[in-house]
Amino acid sequence: MGHHGPTPEGFRRIPTWEVAKQPAERPKKPATPKTATKKTLHELGIVEVPDEHKVQAALERLHEQIKQRRSYMLAMESCVKCGLCQENCHTFLGTRDPDDSPVGRADLIRKVWKRYFTVQGRLFGKLVGAEDLTLETIQKWLAYFYHCTECRRCGHVCPFGIDTCEITMLGRQVLYWLGVVPALHADSCAAIHRLGNNMALTKSGAVDTLEFLSDEIEEERGFRVEFPVDKPDSDIVYVPSSADFMLNPDTLKGAALFFEYIGANWTITSRMIEAGNFGYLVDQYRTQRELVTRLLESAKQLGAKKIVWGECGHGWRAAKQYARTMADVNGIWHIPIVHIHDEIASYIVTNQLELDPSRITRPVTLHDPCNYARACGHVENMRIIIRKCVSEFREMYPNGERNFCCGGGSGVLFDDPEMYPMRIRFSQKKAEQIRETGVPDGPDGGILCAPCSICKAQFYPMVEEHELNVEVKGLLDLVGKALVFRGKETSGGKKW
Amino acid sequence: MPFIEVAGQQIEVDEDGFIQDPSKWTPEVAAFLAKGEGVDNLTDDHWKVVNYLKDYYEKHGIAPMIRKLCKDTGFTLKQIYELFPTGPAKGACKIAGLPKPTGCV
Repeated sequence: MGHHGPTPEGFRRIPTWEVAKQPAERPKKPATPKTATKKTLHELGIVEVPDEHKVQAALERLHEQIKQRRSYMLAMESCVKCGLCQENCHTFLGTRDPDDSPVGRADLIRKVWKRYFTVQGRLFGKLVGAEDLTLETIQKWLAYFYHCTECRRCGHVCPFGIDTCEITMLGRQVLYWLGVVPALHADSCAAIHRLGNNMALTKSGAVDTLEFLSDEIEEERGFRVEFPVDKPDSDIVYVPSSADFMLNPDTLKGAALFFEYIGANWTITSRMIEAGNFGYLVDQYRTQRELVTRLLESAKQLGAKKIVWGECGHGWRAAKQYARTMADVNGIWHIPIVHIHDEIASYIVTNQLELDPSRITRPVTLHDPCNYARACGHVENMRIIIRKCVSEFREMYPNGERNFCCGGGSGVLFDDPEMYPMRIRFSQKKAEQIRETGVPDGPDGGILCAPCSICKAQFYPMVEEHELNVEVKGLLDLVGKALVFRGKETSGGKKW
Repeated sequence: MPFIEVAGQQIEVDEDGFIQDPSKWTPEVAAFLAKGEGVDNLTDDHWKVVNYLKDYYEKHGIAPMIRKLCKDTGFTLKQIYELFPTGPAKGACKIAGLPKPTGCV
């Protein structure tokens, strides 16, 4: 799948001289997210390990985890410090802090691994790059493993195939067991265990929101589309993206309009009401499993033949790649799990949808969410859809598997005074990319299509911070707008 | 957990200043929290938004969709930001005694 930039070098399009423009420098104290309160940790069933035991506990967890997986061992043993990952990491490009790069972050664990679990490290210590684990290092883990947005661009370029994000995920998991978790992630996980979803949505709130959206469609298009919830004997269980219920109404409407168009027998389930899975981001054991189990159970209860996933990047990876092996249910895992983009693309290539691109006249560019592009193979299908829905589509470069992260990936959506400015720096490279498309330059600006709730939540403030004149929308928003309901609709609504 | 003191009453808040027990909310508490959100004086327009959020939360246990908030109160998003400089979710909701939003927002 190639969507190569105007320069054939692809990744090397970010020249090293650009990285070298500013000297790399370590800050005295890296920006660190606020951690969870005792009360929230208690809800999660974890107690913070006291400081005097933290180092020992961390070493035990590290040893047990790394021994279990060859990929960790590969990452520990194979890095030759070639630096390719560094120049390909948006956080390093934005901060110039060597610890804020894939190899820098992995080394925070690698040095410890060497010191305690290799012969040369035990014998020669610092001479071979081994380092004692201290409370200060654990504090650095908290900062730097939550600066990583788990975008896996580094893993994509590493000549040894080291997926450095797997290492920062490992670090986050060990921190979780130590009881050191950012408040945002811990609160979201607590909401999962309390109410079954990251956003603390209630069924009554969701139903009220969905009725509001039905009214909106009726006002705009002249016909009503219902959003069924917990409808028994549904063929399709649809799992909308989390913030669709709060911030992204047009994304949810787009999904409903598509289901209406194809005459689907579908429902949303209140047991698995949104697609996010913060467990995947901090606790890949108990919390992630809780949600993938809920997903399969609820699909079974409603008699679904298929689970269709909404516009959520990390949640899609958590479900697509882990639900079958991780869910705590036997015998019902034959229900296929597909993404709504793939469904829509299959209807488009078989000419079953009438789409009118003249309803979207402003130029549109597409941000490839990292989990779609580098983990789930969505690059082609997103383009099959967008080209049919809009009048003018402009690629940003690099794109597809080579995209840069929005800067908020893996829930790095911290809004405290210490971390918020970091988000602006993390999105600097992305802002440059968007600016280069010229999409924001039109008289009415343009549209930035970012089909993932975390990307959208990052972009809403970031396009303001970087002064980009673009409206942030999802891909389903564009589909809903462009779908032509002959004989049914009185209007296509306002032009975008 | 930190506390705030309003009219002689100690009220527990989280580290971002969101009150922990919605039943402890009073108009005085709202006025106190508003100061921290850059709103020195709660006008009728502010109260319209705050009361709407509070009623919605009491009914549904969650904050409303932002677009619904705008439609039902008659304010544009821009006007909401003018009223509550820290925004609808983290500013207006806090003043109305709702918990801090979680997840991808």
